[in-house]
Amino acid sequence: MSDASLQSGPEMGTPRAKSSILQLDQRTKKRNAAEARFRAYGIAAIAVGLVFLVVLITSIFFKGVGAFQQTFITLDVELLESKLDKTGERDIEKIKKVTTFGYNPLIENALKAAMEEAGVDNPFAKGKDLRKMLSSGAAADLRRFVIANPDRIGDTVQFRLLASSRVDGYLKDRVTRESLARDKNLTPVHLDVVDQLKGAGVVAKSFNLGFITGADASESRPEQAGIGVSMLGSLYMMLVVLACALPIGVAASIYLEEFAPQNWITDLIEVNISNLAAVPSIVFGILGLAVFIQFAHLPQSAPLVGGLVLTLMTLPTIIISTRASLKSVPPSIREAALGVGASKMQTVFHHVLPLAMPGILTGTIIGLAQALGETAPLLLIGMVGYIASNYPGGIIEGFMSPNSAMPAQIYEWAKRADPAYYERAWGGIIILLVFLMTMNIIAIILRRRFERRW
Amino acid sequence: MNDMTKIERALEMNDMKISAKNVQVYYGDTHAIKDVSVEIEDKTVTAFIGPSGCGKSTFLRCLNRMNDTIDICRVEGDILLDGEDIYDKRVDPVQLRAKVGMVFQKPNPFPKSIYDNIAYGPRIHGLARNKAELDEIVEKSLRRGAIWDEVKDRLHAPGTGLSGGQQQRLCIARAVATEPEVLLMDEPCSALDPIATAQVEELIDELRQSYSVVIVTHSMQQAARVSQKTAFFHLGNLVEYDDTTKIFTNPEDPRTESYITGRIG
Repeated sequence: MSDASLQSGPEMGTPRAKSSILQLDQRTKKRNAAEARFRAYGIAAIAVGLVFLVVLITSIFFKGVGAFQQTFITLDVELLESKLDKTGERDIEKIKKVTTFGYNPLIENALKAAMEEAGVDNPFAKGKDLRKMLSSGAAADLRRFVIANPDRIGDTVQFRLLASSRVDGYLKDRVTRESLARDKNLTPVHLDVVDQLKGAGVVAKSFNLGFITGADASESRPEQAGIGVSMLGSLYMMLVVLACALPIGVAASIYLEEFAPQNWITDLIEVNISNLAAVPSIVFGILGLAVFIQFAHLPQSAPLVGGLVLTLMTLPTIIISTRASLKSVPPSIREAALGVGASKMQTVFHHVLPLAMPGILTGTIIGLAQALGETAPLLLIGMVGYIASNYPGGIIEGFMSPNSAMPAQIYEWAKRADPAYYERAWGGIIILLVFLMTMNIIAIILRRRFERRW
Repeated sequence: MNDMTKIERALEMNDMKISAKNVQVYYGDTHAIKDVSVEIEDKTVTAFIGPSGCGKSTFLRCLNRMNDTIDICRVEGDILLDGEDIYDKRVDPVQLRAKVGMVFQKPNPFPKSIYDNIAYGPRIHGLARNKAELDEIVEKSLRRGAIWDEVKDRLHAPGTGLSGGQQQRLCIARAVATEPEVLLMDEPCSALDPIATAQVEELIDELRQSYSVVIVTHSMQQAARVSQKTAFFHLGNLVEYDDTTKIFTNPEDPRTESYITGRIG
């Protein structure tokens, strides 16, 4: 064999011409040029990706940051006994009978007083017009305070009341005198007053905690809307997903990877799991609607149902990543354990699983993050469009009572007509991204921690 | 080999540990081991030699049913350990493997501490009643593995941090810790340098005092150095099985001669 190839050598091609290695020959030049071109393509691709990322993040940031600031009007409100508790008995039931309308005159008086103090002329004949500067939820805030502290009736208490969304928009340059010309909620005259009150420090922007902790509000009160309740809805869903998907997914993958015989049934299961990972999430939504709501009669719009649907959606992701990390554990470890007489289960639980843990956790957290951002399946089980206006009463209610989820809430806000909601939608996206980033950081930390055990 | 060892060997002749009769192994449709019969003696080192792919490792793995973990592998024939069929339906391979320990080609310590590596086997088999007993087993095993002096100050350091030769001796100590009766070694020195190899070979010779050792090796010098009996495998057949001195000086089969003189393989 070797003799034959030696003989046929010269016949196979022309012999290499003598050349200096200090000079690049034509072939080498061509190869080097091809390599340089390929590198340039790669760098260009990464640069394009980075530009998109930067544009995305900056636009989200600048559009959403406004939602974290809100305009408040600070007023000293005199809680008149004659309006709130005519009998003077401080009977809580009787105080509760005074509706928010009863509080409006107090707010009007307080506004007038504040304007007088700031030296602003009142251009409005009616107190109702003056009150338009404030959120329609302001009276409800006042009422809530009085019902909680009936003994303060008669005192003058300082309140930071929400300004109306138009005033808020004016301070954030969203609303101008021109745009108000076609708006029946506020007039340019109001803005003159706001300008002067702002100078006196009565009207000011400050951090908007209510956006993070608060509940969603009706369409006419964007200044009150917050993402807190739907955040809680998302949290409950994630708990359901974690409690269902992690044990089921890990158990399924361990069985398939370590115990199941290799035959056509397991092959079929394997192929189908991979296929399920690519099924559009809305399919899982309609499955959840049919199985969990119409068949099992679980409550609509409940985080429990949402969590179960998202579990179905997350399972393939968790199973695939868990199997991959189990597969990556070197077979020599399994042999070592079997060699000292460990049973199959001991081998898996004492040696294979701890080594696969970082991969399993990463897969699970990525699955959870995917579930956290999912909107489509929630459409079908009624979690989109539900106005999450109240905090659930307790843990069980948290799972069972209707709620929304963060991405659903963002979609809901983006849909609403009032431009003030636009800013909230972007703000909601910032919060969602913060959550996703936190989860990814946790995944990285967990992976590092488990890997450091050699 | 001097006369003393020959006498010693003759004395132990009747003490059979494992006897395999007409063993056939199939991987799917491939007939990997063809009708192999071997008698392995107690307190002896038996070497399996032969070219790559001749089935010596496969046969070794039959002796503690490691092949059970391969789905397509099928074993026929009888393998008796102290007269009991290890492929009997009533035999739990886990229990068998505690009696027939194994050391692998590549050192494969668990990614745990040196102490835990050794203690794992005794723990799962319940060989120690308390911490003191476990400590004792760990020390004894590490001494038997001829590695105690090197690691006694860092028992809680990771086993994977040792050098290749130390790792392999740790694996031998780990196999010894479960008090096996037979020790199977699948090319234990192929990943080691000559110094580590010499240490492991010395260790194998010491282990012969208490165990029956079966070693698969590619190095004929190694087989000649450490073993008393040698089996030559070729293409799934057991070509020749005899005293090591005889195999290397006066083989009966021409194929054995070709192999040990380097003409096939």
